[in-house]
Amino acid sequence: MVTEQTTLSNLAVEVENLERIYKIRGSKKEKNVRKELVALKDVSLQIKRGELFGLLGPNGAGKTTLIKILTTLLAPTSGWARVAGYDVVKEPGKVRTQINMVSGGESSGYGLLTVRENLWMFSQFYGLPSKEANQRIEALLKIVGLEDRIHTKSSDLSTGLRQKMNIVRGFLTDPQVLFLDEPTLGLDVGASRDVRHLIRNWLDQDRSRTLLLTTHYMVEADELCDRVAIINQGRVLACDTPSALKQQLQRDALFEISVGALNGLAVPTLERVPGVRKVASEESEEMTVLKFILDEDAALGGVINKLTESNVKIVRLDKHEPTLEDVFVSLVGRSMAEVEKEGSNGDGK
Amino acid sequence: MQNISALNRSESWRSFWMATWLGWQIESNWTDPFLFAVYSIVKPLASAGILVVMYTVIAKGNFNTPIFPYIYFGNAFYIYVGAVMSGISWAVIDDREHYKTLKYMYIAPIHIPAYWLGRGVARFLTGSIAVVITIAFGALFLQVPLDLAKVDWPLFFVSLFTGIAMLAMMGLILASITLLIAHHFFLIGEAVAGALYLFSGAIFPLDVLPAWLRPVGFAIPITYWLELMRRSLVGNVAQAFPTLSHFSNLQLVGILVGLSVIFGIASTFIFRFCDYRARERGLIDRVSNY
Amino acid sequence: MATGSNPLASLPVEKASGWKLFLKTVIARAYPRIIGQQREKSWVFFDIFLPMLAISSYVFVYRAIGASEDYVGFVVIGGAMTAFWLNIMWSMSSQLYWEKEQGNLALYIMAPNSMMAVLLGMAVGGMFATLLRAVVIILLGSWFFHVQYVVVNFFQLLAVFFISMTALYGMGMMSASLFLLLSREADHLAQLAMEPVYLVSGMYFPIKAFSFWIAAAASIIPLTLGLDAMRQLVFQSGATLGFLSVTVELTILSILCVSFLIGARALLAYMEKLAIREGRLTESRR
Repeated sequence: MVTEQTTLSNLAVEVENLERIYKIRGSKKEKNVRKELVALKDVSLQIKRGELFGLLGPNGAGKTTLIKILTTLLAPTSGWARVAGYDVVKEPGKVRTQINMVSGGESSGYGLLTVRENLWMFSQFYGLPSKEANQRIEALLKIVGLEDRIHTKSSDLSTGLRQKMNIVRGFLTDPQVLFLDEPTLGLDVGASRDVRHLIRNWLDQDRSRTLLLTTHYMVEADELCDRVAIINQGRVLACDTPSALKQQLQRDALFEISVGALNGLAVPTLERVPGVRKVASEESEEMTVLKFILDEDAALGGVINKLTESNVKIVRLDKHEPTLEDVFVSLVGRSMAEVEKEGSNGDGK
Repeated sequence: MQNISALNRSESWRSFWMATWLGWQIESNWTDPFLFAVYSIVKPLASAGILVVMYTVIAKGNFNTPIFPYIYFGNAFYIYVGAVMSGISWAVIDDREHYKTLKYMYIAPIHIPAYWLGRGVARFLTGSIAVVITIAFGALFLQVPLDLAKVDWPLFFVSLFTGIAMLAMMGLILASITLLIAHHFFLIGEAVAGALYLFSGAIFPLDVLPAWLRPVGFAIPITYWLELMRRSLVGNVAQAFPTLSHFSNLQLVGILVGLSVIFGIASTFIFRFCDYRARERGLIDRVSNY
Repeated sequence: MATGSNPLASLPVEKASGWKLFLKTVIARAYPRIIGQQREKSWVFFDIFLPMLAISSYVFVYRAIGASEDYVGFVVIGGAMTAFWLNIMWSMSSQLYWEKEQGNLALYIMAPNSMMAVLLGMAVGGMFATLLRAVVIILLGSWFFHVQYVVVNFFQLLAVFFISMTALYGMGMMSASLFLLLSREADHLAQLAMEPVYLVSGMYFPIKAFSFWIAAAASIIPLTLGLDAMRQLVFQSGATLGFLSVTVELTILSILCVSFLIGARALLAYMEKLAIREGRLTESRR
């Protein structure tokens, strides 16, 4: 019993067999036709206190749905979840005292209020003393480089600056578990780096804090997260540290071959070349990049032969260390860009 | 040169029809019984009901005075003022703050004023039904004198169409101003229509107003339009009040057309000014909720 | 010690909870209502000047049909109270729907505060901002039309005003959840509650003009009895034109007050539950 309690208190987020199905109403003509969309299927996760946990997946994978359930905004269809030790369905009030959330591209607050006023207002909903709130607002705005806009009406901010304000809103209330849903969406490279820096510092200040981040930027997940869950079509396909996930591919040979026109060569035919485990392709206007996971380097000869036979011009060939992108390809069989292109079902609903 | 003007004309038409279709899709729909009941029956009849009860309390139910049909017809046709003006101006707020599409409309090759006019068509049509229902109710249940055989139909239709065009121009002016102001919690079109109610002799003859306020009434075309609508339907009632009785029908039509043209020209300049200011101040895609 | 210098350090003070958090939330949500409105000056023109003109129209109708001057006062008081009704419909009842569309609703629900406090904040902020409009309309209207007031009982008048306001805004809080559940229809419902409510609540005439049962049914809208009682207390002919005695009207208003507040709480809880189950809290239906 004592052991079980200790285990529970060490877990910031606990998810067991979670499932969420959306019922979608048809258009006016098909009013009575009810469709169902499975957004999450049999998801189980455990996130320890102090962890920076990443949910990685393409648009429509179910990341946002999971965040909504964990932040008490959505009830699961079946299964259960706890945040900071409290059940999200049975004890939403207790969960809410422990969390905050920021999503990318949101337009929260009131346009006619200034940045400071909007942030102050939200701090009050969490019970922060006004003086403390104002001091923290100023200091946090300084960190994200928004201090000179403190008295600007939020309607006058650009999308990127508004996103910075939202990020400050998340950190302002000192949550135990912070959910960041695509926090760097719409931010430029420099601002994204600042945000990643802020995230790391915030966690380092207090090891009892936990941060759950969703992203579809592989590099971001790789650079930041202690552990990553790769999610696609509502299912968790793998969950481990980025290095452990990549380790699985360490013994494989990873090649990227940039080619000109494929001249009718179908990508799946390349998978039939002996020694080829997975192939994914990403097309741009000028060339196609073929990503190969091979059993060993020697298999490359067969691939080159196949390409040459089909008169495909090889522009460039690289061998590289495994990345999370390769992990995704090895799990799903396609690159994340391909999955998104193939018609995601909206933004994770 | 000719080609360019033809292109502009087709652009305006395309904008207008596209907006009419869009407005129809989102604003109102006769096939929805609830919306039909709200906008075409309940609201207009309640609005008339307020005046009827006020009149009944004071006149003890005597409907056979010229002032009662004066009030009743004025109020009924005034429905067009609110419907057309708010139909057109609301499109700005709805597109900017709710659908957040105003910026896309702006960058599309469409003619913005024509687009706004189109967005007002749906409310104009539902407004028309409301006017008919209100008048029919009055004629059937409240002894409002209306003899269809005695109606001056040519005058009626000339006045009606000129009036609608004039209201559309006023709606454009309002829509242009709306570009510059925040989203408050009321319909600017209806607020302005409510205010002009006072000056246009809709529900009381202008003589009742203090002398210094009457010139405002004489300056707005709605006053002459309402007088023409009453004269075309029930000539003798309108002439029972001295305010405009010294004008012939033709003179009134002339004044209405003249003022409508002036408002039309004004709307062009006001649109250009507001459009310039809105872009200068970056207001096209703002969300001003509070 | 404050953490201003290091905002990433843990909070050195306890966050407020319970009634303190409730109060903080009310103040915080009322703030944008009061400040936001003042910041955009166009409201003075559209929210005070134009309605003032619209109200004047009804005064001149009474003059045109030869009514006694007390009726002019009836219109002025009714017109001032219209401001509150408009505020309740457009910025209370429809507001949760707008908050959802703007993305704030999810943040409100996710925060540890009570949603009742958010609604109350909206109400208090809206009431304060509207009070200004109502006072200006009464002052200008009374001055312009020379309205004569004969206040019978000042304390009763205050009680009627505050209880009516509480009942009215309680109704607004209740309808906010209701309108949210009905989603896009909210605008149309608010539209439906304009002229028909002006008619049945006797905004511009004594409610006694209706038959007893119509007036009784209309009394479910707190404006009806609030207006009737206020007119009885400030006009010479008010008492003879009153529907019920002021004491009875006060009692009914108090019952409405409690019922609407309880109703608001229940509907809010229901709305939240339903929205969380169906996933409609955070979806904007553009």
